[in-house]
Amino acid sequence: MPQPAGLLYSKEHEWVKLDGDTATVGITDYAQHSLGDIVYVELPRVGATLPQFGNIGVVESVKAVSDIYTPIGGEVLEINDALEGDPALLNREPFGAGWLFKIKIADQAETGNLLSPESYDELTQE
Amino acid sequence: MPETLRRTALFEAHRTLGARLVPFGGFEMPVQYTSILREHAAVRTHAGLFDLSHMAQFGLRGAAVGAWAETLTVNLVANMKPGQARYNIFTNERGGAHDDVIFYRLDADRWLLVVNAGNAEKMAQILSAAATPDVEIVNQHGETALIAIQGPKSLAIFGGFVDADLAAMKYYSCVETRVRGIPAVVARTGYTGEDGFEIFCAADFATDLWDALLAEGRPAGLEPAGLGARDVLRLEAGMPLYGHELTEDITPLQAGLVWAVKLAKPAFVGRAALEAQLAAGDYARIAGLLLDGRVPARSGYPVLAGDHRVGEVRSGSTAPSVENKNIATALVAPSAAPFGTRLDVEIRGTRYPAGVVPLPFYKRPK
Repeated sequence: MPQPAGLLYSKEHEWVKLDGDTATVGITDYAQHSLGDIVYVELPRVGATLPQFGNIGVVESVKAVSDIYTPIGGEVLEINDALEGDPALLNREPFGAGWLFKIKIADQAETGNLLSPESYDELTQE
Repeated sequence: MPETLRRTALFEAHRTLGARLVPFGGFEMPVQYTSILREHAAVRTHAGLFDLSHMAQFGLRGAAVGAWAETLTVNLVANMKPGQARYNIFTNERGGAHDDVIFYRLDADRWLLVVNAGNAEKMAQILSAAATPDVEIVNQHGETALIAIQGPKSLAIFGGFVDADLAAMKYYSCVETRVRGIPAVVARTGYTGEDGFEIFCAADFATDLWDALLAEGRPAGLEPAGLGARDVLRLEAGMPLYGHELTEDITPLQAGLVWAVKLAKPAFVGRAALEAQLAAGDYARIAGLLLDGRVPARSGYPVLAGDHRVGEVRSGSTAPSVENKNIATALVAPSAAPFGTRLDVEIRGTRYPAGVVPLPFYKRPK
């Protein structure tokens, strides 16, 4: 699956799409492939304030529970309701319709702690 | 120290198929080839092909095998006819389970015993400690391959491979025959709740047989299936997994396997303990849970009745064959076990409601 341009990444295989002072967060194709069939996603509450890299929910596959972390800190504006009825959407479209949540960025400088597409590629080649 | 994992004769076949391999019972085994849900669906609608060669196999020889085995297990063995297979459990003095197994009687004096891979060494020791001069025990682990084909299309796909008349085979029967010319034992047994066959042949022939089955079966919907799918299938079918519903501390009575426990047998390991347990009646037991919601239950999660902890989850999964609901087995206090009892499973600090339901969760359509 080709990676869309203009994203930044975390070491925990999340992606961030920046749009002024808001960001959309999801997990990468690498992550969904490692997890296997996803059966449940637990997302943070709208209105919750999250620290960068904080543990903010879980993604459950058939066999395992995996923690998810937010690659950027701030207040949760919106969560992807579609994942409640169709968690497999996260497998099918991790970069698109399977987005996890949108966040109001608390501190733009935190983007400096994220990986560029090239650095993330290196991470996944190891 | 890193564990040195063994490999079955089909290891390269799994690699070629792109399987994701994991340690299991001391072996490197495929947990999935494509996806667990896809392989599960293949077994329920067409057929799946499983490599089970990691399971330990023992040849038992002698006229005394049946009577000898009956002193070590809960079920009857001696009255098995040639061509019969039977589920059984080896027990300790407390009535707890050493392992759950299947005996296959090939003829008057020759038997095959299959035990769980994770218990291979333990069972080899138990068998050898109980050995008598008139029972020969041959450890065949690694020499005999075991391939299972499971699903409604199993007979259609596999029937033509075999000299014996598979359609005429009753469930839990076995036969010595040839599979595409190779000597093999074929049994109509399985661990998925579907029709299917288990094939025992020399390890040298395993790869050719595996490849031939896939070549023949893929057009009919046969897919290779791994341990991940196997676990969901067996849980839906209400079948115990050693280490979860049966352990050295969980007896067959507690596991709901009272049908397999023949207390009228004159003497067997754990008989007194099981008799006492049955008489007292107040033992924790395995119950099937159907969760109301979308969060899966997993092994170890607490089970509550109101504010009281009444047990713990032993196995749990999302169940595609049970309307994609979440199912679980739990070891619970007897007061929490009646069908219809409402309980909570505590998941990450929050209580999620569930109801106790009869097992199995899934039965194949007639």
